[in-house]
Amino acid sequence: MGSLSCTAPLRKTIYIRPHVIAVAPAAAARGIQAGQSVTSALAMVPELNLVPRTPDKEAALLQDVAAWAGAFSARVCLDPPDGIVLEVASCLRLFGGLDALRHALLEGLQRQGLTPAIADAPTPLAARWFAREAGRNPAAACTKPPAAWQQRLDALPLSALADRGNIGQTQLDLLSGLGLRTLGEVRALPAAGLARRQATAVIDALARAYGEEHDLREAYLPPPSYSSHISLALATTSTEPLLFAARRLFAGLASWLAARHAGIDHCQLLLLHERRPASTLDILTGTPSRDEARFNLLARERLAALKLPAPVDGLELIANAPRALAARSDDLFGDAATARENALLLLERLRARLGDDGVRQIAPKPDWRPERAWHGSAPNTANKAARVSARARVDTQRPLWLLDAPQRIDDPRQIKLLRGPERIEQGWWDGHDVRRDYYLARHANGALWWVYRKLDSPRDWYLQGYFG
Amino acid sequence: MSAASALATLPAGLVWHGRQLAGQGGPILPTGHAALDAQLPGGGWPGAAITELLVDQPGVGELSLLLPLLRRAEAGRWQVWIGPPQHPYAPALQAAGVDLESLLLINPPTPDEALWATRQALGSATCSMVLAWLPHVDVAGLRRLQLAAESGATPLFLFRPCASARQPSPAPLRLALSPQHGALRIDLLKRRGPLAHAPVLLSLHDDSL
Repeated sequence: MGSLSCTAPLRKTIYIRPHVIAVAPAAAARGIQAGQSVTSALAMVPELNLVPRTPDKEAALLQDVAAWAGAFSARVCLDPPDGIVLEVASCLRLFGGLDALRHALLEGLQRQGLTPAIADAPTPLAARWFAREAGRNPAAACTKPPAAWQQRLDALPLSALADRGNIGQTQLDLLSGLGLRTLGEVRALPAAGLARRQATAVIDALARAYGEEHDLREAYLPPPSYSSHISLALATTSTEPLLFAARRLFAGLASWLAARHAGIDHCQLLLLHERRPASTLDILTGTPSRDEARFNLLARERLAALKLPAPVDGLELIANAPRALAARSDDLFGDAATARENALLLLERLRARLGDDGVRQIAPKPDWRPERAWHGSAPNTANKAARVSARARVDTQRPLWLLDAPQRIDDPRQIKLLRGPERIEQGWWDGHDVRRDYYLARHANGALWWVYRKLDSPRDWYLQGYFG
Repeated sequence: MSAASALATLPAGLVWHGRQLAGQGGPILPTGHAALDAQLPGGGWPGAAITELLVDQPGVGELSLLLPLLRRAEAGRWQVWIGPPQHPYAPALQAAGVDLESLLLINPPTPDEALWATRQALGSATCSMVLAWLPHVDVAGLRRLQLAAESGATPLFLFRPCASARQPSPAPLRLALSPQHGALRIDLLKRRGPLAHAPVLLSLHDDSL
């Protein structure tokens, strides 16, 4: 099994009393080193900015990274505290080889603000140790001539063993007391002798790293619904910073969906205010999608239409009910599916800004009463076949324009009747009784009107439509 | 060599004679009315530009003029109507052969939203045509619409009141529509070609009227 291990140390200077865990580049330039005690670090650089370590945030970050990495491999394992392991042997071909995959991972993680160290090996533990080594000494990792992985493993220093919790400092002291410096030297010792000296954990770790023992790990399963949160450093009401932050959430959502081979047709973006209930943006995509750009676009339209009651200091994205969605590859000549998708995208944009009432479709309805012979509805993209298309039953002419409500004609002498009457007497059963004689008429100004005269007194004339 | 014969040696399309209609500058959509086609540059509606239709009152045949085009619309592409002044009547449109499935009616709340929606529809390149009723659009807005129509290769039919004939416009084709003796009178206010001397008269409704 081929494995890639990425370790992603946090960028800031983090400490657990009493020593420094990680160092930012600026602090490293002043001579601060990881492992140094806090007091000595402060003695060297009094203005050092110390950030307390927050293990739960680190764990949450690791989960996020694992969910994101699900877009690259079907089997992702958490390797706490700071690593994830991907099984990649089965998907190398899809991503175009190990180098391309490594590049894609590196770029994606860097875009999320992480500085990853990535290494590959046939066993997960070896991959982890290589990644640690590469993280500690990036230059050496690049210039090292490619060698068989066992030889590279042999050359690793003893400190690599300290990386996993179950090997104690006493065992490491014992090994270094024996004058051992590399893993290869440890392996050359007789195993029975080491076991007698309480170093079974070391033997065990080496056996797993070299692939002599199985290294079984529990696969990471992405959560069944997606929820992610970003707090903004500065509360704001302007659209651009909010969209920028939302873009990160949508990127996470898109890879979560890709990992599940799923799409969503709606999600909620909550804009968190300090002392108010959150404003909610409902983002509807019409058809299931996992297109990041599409989410961004819709969020932009919705945000532009929204009046924020207060500054926003955090964003939360919630999506559930993912639906299975097969991946679609792009066609050289722009296939029909792409065109159809673009057409739906236009519809979504219009609906996002104008609301459902702003975008309508019309269809005829089987009724003789002109004002009831049609109906408008929100565009139904999901199920076209279900719509009953009523055939027009009229063989007489109908106007292309219909007035909202019939207008009374004050001076009937202005119109000249051209054709008619067509009597429509309908609807006594449902309370909207209609008893009218319809005519086609020309008004004095030259326009063609559709007019009727009520059969009941007063026998007034009304205008109901225009032959446009 | 005389000037005329010198001009004749130049490649076609470089020189435009004042008496001719301009050649085809982009896709052309036949109007379905032979008398009108003969008067239009390229022989039809410009396929990627604004056509302004100036009309003051409904019922002169302003929609019937476009019916041949509406009927021909491609399936899978929208026909977008933005801000029509009355309800388009579904039974009549269906009887006329218009595909109602692809017809989108947009009712924007403000003129700004109408302009925005028009630009979106044009720019998306997913519409076979866009019909918009924008009575108060200014020249800058018109120019943006013209650019959007060009970039999306989508024809825009813009309905405006006759009074806007005085306003300059980047639209390559401007027609004024009015009724005359039971027919539709089309005055060609602007076209790429010589000035039109006589209006085109189209009888759109059947002869019994």
